[in-house]
Amino acid sequence: MTSKMWVTMGPQHPFSHGLWTLKVRVDGEVITDATPIIGYLHRGWEKECEHRTYPQIIPMADRLCYSASMTWSHLYVMAVEEGLDLEVPERAQYLRVVADEICRIQSHLMWLAAMGTDLGNLTVFLWSLREREIFLDLFVKLCGQRLTTNYPRIGGVRNDMPYLFERDCMRAVERFEKKLWDIIALMDDSAIFLSRMQGVGHVTRKEAANLGLTGPTMRGCGVDFDVRRDDPYEVYDLFDFEVPVSQDGDAYGRYAVRIEEMFQSCEIIRQAMAGMPDGPVRVKAPRNVPAGKHFARLEDPRGEGLMYLISDGTDRPYRLKVRSPIFVNVSASKRLVLGARMADVPAVMGTIDMCLGETDR
Amino acid sequence: MSVSDWVSISDSTANKVSPYEVYNLPYAIGHGLWEIIGGVIAWLINIIAPGNRLSPFLIGDFVTNMMGLFIMVVVFFAVIFIVNLTMIWIERKTLGRIMDRRATRIGPLGYLQNLADGLKTFLKEHIMPEKADKKGYMWAVSIVIGSAVLIAGMIPLSPRWFLADYGTGLLLIFGIFAVSPFMILVAGWAQNNKYSLIGGMRAAAQMISYEIPMLLVFASVVLMAGSLNINEIVQFQMDNTWFIVPQIIGFVVFMVAATAEAERIPFDLPEAEAELVEGWQTEYGGMKWGLIMLSDYFRGYVACALGAIMFLGGWAIPFMDTLVLPEIVFLLKVVLLFFIMVWARGTFARIRTDQILNIGWKVLLPLAVINLFIVVLLKIGGVY
Amino acid sequence: MALKYLDKYPKNVALRGWILKPFFTTFKNLVKTTIRRPVTILYPYEKEWIPDNYRGRPGLVFEKCIGCGICARICPTTCIELVDIEDEKMGAVKRPQVNLGRCMMCGYCAEYCPVDAMTVTPDYELAAFTREELIYDPYRLKWENTTKGMEVKMEEHLISNLEKGILDQPSAFYELDRPKLIGEKCISCNRCAKTCPVDAIEMVVVGENEKGKPIKHPKIDESKCVFCEQCIIICPKDALEINEVL
Repeated sequence: MTSKMWVTMGPQHPFSHGLWTLKVRVDGEVITDATPIIGYLHRGWEKECEHRTYPQIIPMADRLCYSASMTWSHLYVMAVEEGLDLEVPERAQYLRVVADEICRIQSHLMWLAAMGTDLGNLTVFLWSLREREIFLDLFVKLCGQRLTTNYPRIGGVRNDMPYLFERDCMRAVERFEKKLWDIIALMDDSAIFLSRMQGVGHVTRKEAANLGLTGPTMRGCGVDFDVRRDDPYEVYDLFDFEVPVSQDGDAYGRYAVRIEEMFQSCEIIRQAMAGMPDGPVRVKAPRNVPAGKHFARLEDPRGEGLMYLISDGTDRPYRLKVRSPIFVNVSASKRLVLGARMADVPAVMGTIDMCLGETDR
Repeated sequence: MSVSDWVSISDSTANKVSPYEVYNLPYAIGHGLWEIIGGVIAWLINIIAPGNRLSPFLIGDFVTNMMGLFIMVVVFFAVIFIVNLTMIWIERKTLGRIMDRRATRIGPLGYLQNLADGLKTFLKEHIMPEKADKKGYMWAVSIVIGSAVLIAGMIPLSPRWFLADYGTGLLLIFGIFAVSPFMILVAGWAQNNKYSLIGGMRAAAQMISYEIPMLLVFASVVLMAGSLNINEIVQFQMDNTWFIVPQIIGFVVFMVAATAEAERIPFDLPEAEAELVEGWQTEYGGMKWGLIMLSDYFRGYVACALGAIMFLGGWAIPFMDTLVLPEIVFLLKVVLLFFIMVWARGTFARIRTDQILNIGWKVLLPLAVINLFIVVLLKIGGVY
Repeated sequence: MALKYLDKYPKNVALRGWILKPFFTTFKNLVKTTIRRPVTILYPYEKEWIPDNYRGRPGLVFEKCIGCGICARICPTTCIELVDIEDEKMGAVKRPQVNLGRCMMCGYCAEYCPVDAMTVTPDYELAAFTREELIYDPYRLKWENTTKGMEVKMEEHLISNLEKGILDQPSAFYELDRPKLIGEKCISCNRCAKTCPVDAIEMVVVGENEKGKPIKHPKIDESKCVFCEQCIIICPKDALEINEVL
């Protein structure tokens, strides 16, 4: 008599944030096998790009991930600038860093909200979204839209800071640093939350590196690597910030790393605003990228994003390859949920911070 | 003959066939109401056909008793139903305020939102999975809502507001309270769905393990009061102290176990929407789902009412020997306990399956035994 | 810079009262939001404040537009189409028509417009019953209260200027780049002059061919040209090329 059965979680399932399926084989409540299935959201993004001129791809890169649109368009722009060998004005680099960090904070808040519902606490969800609204308002002021920023341009940024943006930014950061402790009080000070998070989905340092995890998921497992610090792009080498690393390796470690990253992002925004130089924000870029192979990488809120661009000298890319952090991280889902219980699946997979737009492309 | 000859308001306790020996307010309302309505009908019939034998029969003791009982049940149920709607409204409003959002919107202060939602659920299509077990699927809902309403009706709101004053009292309530987990298991099985099956299994495991500490607490309360009858338990608390003072451990254990029994966060594992979609209710739609939700709130009401009766002195006001509007006092206490449940729901995450059983068996059960021990010591020591 | 959160956490929860602090925190918020109203906005009745540069649907200032078609070419989703319309005041003109069913509100049309005729508008409630209703013709595209803030300026600096240290001469590509003629390919067909929306091209006689007919080459008036590339697109022999200034 066998008591094992396959339970299909997804694609329309409250736990899967986005369209993906996790098939788990359960023995009672314990998971003995798991298979992630992705591809429901494949839009042919990379092929679409081959039919568009270089500036036209920037708003499309926004659509790669709904909550990290700024970093993805930034990454694309960096890859093209690499090909053009273009020097971006310093003020534009500072503005990009500020926008990146605002994006990181709001993306992490989105993750925190999803984490709250995964664990059955709707209060965390709404409080996180309330704080996220402040940063979306900053985006509206900066570039005119809340989610699809379309802010970076090849050779700079779309526009300079609007009037009083610096003041608003500082206020938002200061308010946020106070308010985040309220949410932390709901999560970290609750024995129930800790009992759900601690000790589940444990991955050792070595395994994390072998599985190809990147970003907060990797740093939560004890690997000390951050593209911002170890391979600095833009002006990140000028800022003084810590890369949080947790040695726990469980879901709680990954949670703690993300929370700390939000505080560090606030710190970076503060430093960037203080050191913002004057000057132009955009240079004129040639329309044709010389033939060659170029790549750029940056620290996405979810991990390490990489774009590989093959240009053939025309005004359209020959090939644009996206290395999505979640595409790699989700392949580790079997290792993460193995041996856990059915109820742990949302808690463990929630810490990966799924985003299917960039995974399926 | 004029109307006043036919309509005469008499004392309901003077009715010879009345089942109630003591004064019963809802029965008196029903009795009086029928004396007016029946009297008018009898008068009208008598105008058409003077001297018939139907008119005296309509205002006789037998018919008045029957119709009085009927109206009484309607009144009783209406009061519980309105209390439940109010509790749902309180829950939604409180949760909304905790979460910094505006909760219900329809009607004054959003009070009519529940009715609107109920109407919406009522108009939904009746959908049943093709491969579901039809009998189990339908009967489970009926019994879940039926048992919930039954125990809600068995709880007296005051010494003058009850359906039946019976000796077994709390024992019967706890007995029927434990029926619904089995029907949840049946429902989970009958839906032919993996999520609902797991949800049903979880419900059964959780409820059985939380039944035991709850019954131990119940035993200690009964032991201390020396009676199973609800009236006598409350009277004992009025004469001595409320049981929350000597049995604070028991109160905490009872509230935790009652939250689990009512399937509310943090113990709502059977319907854990993060991993099990909607748990054992996955395949229920439309009004069947609405009835299940309603039964959840009825069970929540019963759990809070039991807490109020067993630990908070029922309808008594502290340091007062007389009863002042006992029904209102009692319902306020129920709402207070319910508010604590809602507050916990707004604060906590959901607990995992193994942890919930661990808490049940390793924490609550010893605590309940300790509580029982304290009660026994107090009883032997002659404090009560 | 010290770690703020990881230094403090994780600590022993037992010392923090197991579950008491979350209880306290939620109660604080309950009291706070009961006294003042919750922060949510009742959307259809109240609306969020949005700045002037909010990227809603594109808007058109009909009189300013020159019908150059830059917006149609830069549009990533090709939702803009130039249509010939017969206007009462302006006669036969070309104006953009936008299919909002495809528009992704990137604001490129407003950004690249050489005369700031295309603007962004704060109009984001665009639901319609049919797909045909979503196709906005030039007249429907007008937005009454167009302010200065809705015009998106494109201020690019030349790399050559930056190297020389000139920081205060921003310009847009359409003020600098010009079509360049490759003389031997030109067949004097006059199409570029006809299609030019700003009449910047004038055909001048540069010589005679063997049969005695005049050879005409386009001469581009640089003060008028907006670099809309219409002449480059229409040229049958690819005699015009892009001359980029960097």
